[in-house]
Amino acid sequence: MSGQQTSRRLAVRASQYICRPCRDTISRNTYSTAATALQPDDQPLQHIYPVASATPRTSYVVNTGVVLSRPPQITRDLHPFESAYFLYQRRLNERLALPFTRYFYIKKNTPADIEWKRKLRQRLTPARDIGRYKGYGDEAWNDEALIGASESQVQWQVERLLDDAEKTGKEGEGEGQGEKKDGEEKEEGGEGEKKAVAPTTIGGKIIEHEAFERPMSRVTEADLKGDLKSLNRQLQRTLYLVVKDKSGQWMFPQDKMTKESLHVAAERIIVQSGGINMNTWVVGKVPIGHHQVDIPEESLKASPNPNELGYKTFFMKARIMAGQADLKENKLGLEDFKWLTREEIEKAVTFDYWRSVRNMLGDR
Amino acid sequence: MALRELPLRTAVAFCRDARPLLHAIRPLSCRNASTDALKELTSSSSFSVPPPSQELAQGYDPVARSRLRRLKKRGLPPSRYQYRPPKYYRGPLHPHQPPPESDPSSRVFQPGPFSIPRLEETYQSTIASDLLTLTYMHYPPGWRPEKIGQRLRTWTGDSPYFKNRPLRPPRGSDHLRLLNEARNFRNIPKITKVTVHSMVPEAQDNSAHLHIAGMIVQAITNVRAVAHKAKHNVVGWGLREGKYISVTADAEREDAYHFLAKLVDVVLPRIKEWKGVPGSSGDGSGNISFGLTPDQVSLFPEVEINYDAYPPKMIPGCHITIHTDATSNKDARLLMQAIGLPFYGKLND
Repeated sequence: MSGQQTSRRLAVRASQYICRPCRDTISRNTYSTAATALQPDDQPLQHIYPVASATPRTSYVVNTGVVLSRPPQITRDLHPFESAYFLYQRRLNERLALPFTRYFYIKKNTPADIEWKRKLRQRLTPARDIGRYKGYGDEAWNDEALIGASESQVQWQVERLLDDAEKTGKEGEGEGQGEKKDGEEKEEGGEGEKKAVAPTTIGGKIIEHEAFERPMSRVTEADLKGDLKSLNRQLQRTLYLVVKDKSGQWMFPQDKMTKESLHVAAERIIVQSGGINMNTWVVGKVPIGHHQVDIPEESLKASPNPNELGYKTFFMKARIMAGQADLKENKLGLEDFKWLTREEIEKAVTFDYWRSVRNMLGDR
Repeated sequence: MALRELPLRTAVAFCRDARPLLHAIRPLSCRNASTDALKELTSSSSFSVPPPSQELAQGYDPVARSRLRRLKKRGLPPSRYQYRPPKYYRGPLHPHQPPPESDPSSRVFQPGPFSIPRLEETYQSTIASDLLTLTYMHYPPGWRPEKIGQRLRTWTGDSPYFKNRPLRPPRGSDHLRLLNEARNFRNIPKITKVTVHSMVPEAQDNSAHLHIAGMIVQAITNVRAVAHKAKHNVVGWGLREGKYISVTADAEREDAYHFLAKLVDVVLPRIKEWKGVPGSSGDGSGNISFGLTPDQVSLFPEVEINYDAYPPKMIPGCHITIHTDATSNKDARLLMQAIGLPFYGKLND
């Protein structure tokens, strides 16, 4: 759209010609500009990688935690507005696109052709999943779904696609599900045309359609039972492994680090907590978050090592590909485990813990 | 004189265009000092009116209403539903400006999107965060990498001709390579475009080859194919200048994701003994390409469904280029591997 661009460019150019009082107001020095101006560009920021001193006086115990997650398995449910929007766009496309090139796909005077014509008479459009709507003609403007219409729902569209694949469009075969619902069945000689439906056998050929497998339910058995230990629950969400330790606290599996890297420690912790029956992948070699616990002053004085101020847990990200956690032979003294979504973790863990881990868990 | 007046005029023209827009973005629900005054003026707004009753909604039949109106020869009030955008663009100063491209009444309006592709959802929920973790580089507080200054070389020497000369390109190349910036959540590599290209030199003698190639490329990408001419005579390849020899289709956004998902989930697993994408692929700025042979192209479901409609000898092979906004081969390869394209052989870094 060259016109738009030109006008925009001209408008931008026009904005350079600002009257003097306006320009003076714009270029006025504010406190923020003064603050930024004061900061010199070459601050004491170093280009040499900082190295911690070898013998620190006080220190923290370093733990490694593992955020073991199962990514979403299926697409998310669409918001009603999204699905309505997509239906609107599809019907718009039906109005604007060139007609379907029928003879390129279906040979003339074949059983498939007769079936196609029959189906087209019923749904008025080559598209199989946008309901009874015709993009051409006097009534093409009628593209809005009425209140309570189900054309925009994904489930309804899936059913229509399956119907189209399974059924021949004969009278009385595909009815009672889609066409009658939308309340437009009664219009314009649709009845009269339907009487002239061709027979299914043409020249001794019978069209047979195989039955198709229905897509599996998006809600699983584990969802209905509320089984928090199953990996087959909440297929649309990311699930995270949380465990209950000796003190009864729910948290991500974690352990003290010995002389090993974070990455190796994460792999060890996965095996020591969830057992070997898990096919996992530790993503990357850097932690994605950390949680710090400071020992209070009074108990620090009583503790045997007063130089240890507390502990820091660094979380490594891991994905589970297959298998299931099994705590029977765990070496970390864990009592229970759950696969939880982000919202459920918020309820299960303490607020301090949640505050440090929430930003490393994804939205979905 | 006229030049000096131009900015003012353009500003006026711009304002005139912007007026309906300003009107549209002012919802009645926002609270301004004038909101109460507005309420005094207009007794009701569409926000305060309850939705229609169930019975009214059930009995509403827009088609029947329009038919009744037509039967009584009572059309819609004039000036409604009659707008057509201008056929030709007459410049920014013309009072009749075309609507924006996104307006359905525009002549260049393209409907869409029609769905959220599964691959795109996977990218957003899983792949992007994994890539960020995999390629993250930690900068400790108080430390930052050395600043990269002028990368072009200067002309050093006594020659008076060196003065005011444009800077020299880097050694061994005529252009600067892309900078690899530190990874953060804003520059995670993503797929920007997929180009499918099919070259059929036989089309110089028999244009049917070009038509078939165009149909197939269009069918598998859902994008209108564009034909290209040979720019030069190339005797070795039998090319003659000015003859149409190839077709391309650039799939973006939804189309690109659907195409890639189809490729990775349906076509590539069915190829016998497919080794993967050659590791030497990649142009150093985040684009990966590989080729498919004619019998591999015919595995696409869109071609397979009416395979008989195409002359079997004329089905072309194609090159697929996946454009990403990664800045190195390594990052682009990582993204490709995450969506399910394996690589083989020596890697090109």
